[in-house]
Amino acid sequence: MAFWAIPPILWQFAFFVVPLGFLVAMTFWSVRSFRLTPDMTLANWMFILKAGFFRSAYIYTFKLALLTALIASLSAFPAAYTLAFRLQPRTRRFLIFMLVVPFFTSYPVRIYSTQIFFSPEGIINAMIAPLGLGPVSVLDTPTGTVVGYLVLTLPLVLLLQTFALMNTPRDLIEAAHNLGCGRFRTILTVIVPTARVGLVLAATFAFVLSFGDYVAPLYLGGSNPPTLSILIADQVKSGNNWPRASVVAVTMILTLIVVMTAMLALAYGGRKKGRG
Amino acid sequence: MTNTLTMLEIDRVAKRYGDSLAVADVSFTISKGEFIALMGPSGCGKTTTLRMIAGLDEPTGGEIRLWGRRLNEDAPWKRNAPLVWQNYALFPFLSVRKNIEFGLKQRGMPIRQRREKAFEWMERLGIAAYADRGIDQLSGGQRQRVALARALALEPEMLLLDEPLSALDPHLRVRMQSELVRLHRDLGITFVCVTHSHSEAFAMANRVVLMNEGQVQQIGTPREIHRRAANRFVAEFVGGNNLLSGTAVDAGNGLMRVDGPFGSTLARAPTDRVLQTGAEVTLVIAADCIDMLPARSGTGNEIEARVLTLEFIGSAVTVFLETLGGAELRIQRPLHEIENSPLSPLSPGQTVIARWSEDEGYFLPA
Repeated sequence: MAFWAIPPILWQFAFFVVPLGFLVAMTFWSVRSFRLTPDMTLANWMFILKAGFFRSAYIYTFKLALLTALIASLSAFPAAYTLAFRLQPRTRRFLIFMLVVPFFTSYPVRIYSTQIFFSPEGIINAMIAPLGLGPVSVLDTPTGTVVGYLVLTLPLVLLLQTFALMNTPRDLIEAAHNLGCGRFRTILTVIVPTARVGLVLAATFAFVLSFGDYVAPLYLGGSNPPTLSILIADQVKSGNNWPRASVVAVTMILTLIVVMTAMLALAYGGRKKGRG
Repeated sequence: MTNTLTMLEIDRVAKRYGDSLAVADVSFTISKGEFIALMGPSGCGKTTTLRMIAGLDEPTGGEIRLWGRRLNEDAPWKRNAPLVWQNYALFPFLSVRKNIEFGLKQRGMPIRQRREKAFEWMERLGIAAYADRGIDQLSGGQRQRVALARALALEPEMLLLDEPLSALDPHLRVRMQSELVRLHRDLGITFVCVTHSHSEAFAMANRVVLMNEGQVQQIGTPREIHRRAANRFVAEFVGGNNLLSGTAVDAGNGLMRVDGPFGSTLARAPTDRVLQTGAEVTLVIAADCIDMLPARSGTGNEIEARVLTLEFIGSAVTVFLETLGGAELRIQRPLHEIENSPLSPLSPGQTVIARWSEDEGYFLPA
């Protein structure tokens, strides 16, 4: 059995670790007359970390990803709760299947279809115009970007939350009720603590996916203001500056490592450790 | 029907899940301070009945009344009937102390008071040393105590227990059994305990409600159920009974002669009905009511039989006999009696006289 662990490890090594090493190495290279030249310079790091446009893009991307994780987690929870506890198993299976359907189509296609809703002459404006409202502009705004992030992350967050909640032992919920804890309080005192790992994991996924997404900020956010992924593309497009783009990419990876570590501490921390 | 002592009334209660009837039509009352055991095989509806008392399931028929007030629609969190779960259902993300404080916190008791109260109960149940431990650091017996403390800290007038001993090892089970009895006596509150084990039910409860297939089969003290089973199911379920099928032959002097593969025996005729001569009857004789003699004494019912096997269960012995007519008899005697009997050493193949008095057998409704 151990032998069959080798192919996926080799695969990961060849297509993840090696390119990653390459990416890090490239941050020290230089570009001379649009030509990539191996080098050992800190100039790219100095330039990017000092650049005002990088810092504002960094803060903007971080805030938007955080906001998305928060909105996705909070808005998915009532639905996940209903799916996990309130529905018949047959209905639940059908709805879980429906939640997987969005993943059948590629994500950019779903973003395109979202544009139809939000464009100035789109479905939403056409619907609210007779009511004397609008037109609302969502396209090419930060709101547009967040809408795109939610298109990407909400089904996943909802699925992960549902699975996390379904693992809550029914006994514990009933024990809480039996000890005088009403339905709503039981959510906070028993269900959320029990499903904590899964709920934190869902939010982390939402953050990670949004933080690195390129499609939503480009097509719905209009690249304005740019997110870090837009910045990477810009560095490459204008001036073929792969090393600077790599610096942005590496800072993103480092950020995600820190976020993941913090989230894992949040998920598993503070537990009474068992002796086995 | 309602008297001042009647605390809880289960009145023609039914529970239907889709097409299946978990509880068909169950009625019994519980007085204040009783230790009631709901006993029966799995799927008999005993746990569902308990859950309806706790409010975790709502009856689909009938009424549950507490001190005369209808309880059916009350949410579980509005009732004060804490339950001790079979697997304890302790909160794994809370320490022992916080588990015990949980119910008190829901009732809005200030933190200092509930700490004190939790500590009192931990002391009482001998778990104070584990106050700050996590649940997964406790043994089964310790978890059981935490579950008890968590429920009793609410100082309820009624404690519900769902198979409280079944997850413990046999040695601990016996100890916990007497501890529950002592707790019940000291606290003076009502205990309602679900169990599938007649030995547990008989050892702990003042009164037993025996259920099968969603219906009450018999209600009575352990002794009543053991000595006078209401029907064939009860006689077989509680164990230790010989059920002999035979034909009623003739009644006289209040005694009825019954013939069967075991021979011919006399038993006191039932007073509640008349058995016709020739009727098929079931005669029940408890295994501990039968003696074994080396020779006939001329009194009571005496049947010659051959020893098939002996089973030692601690200080008692179960002896399986076969009568000359091919009927099987089971006898239970104290070990010291067997050892000191003239029949000793008793061994398979040996012929003995099984003897019981006319008063000890009884008839079951057909």
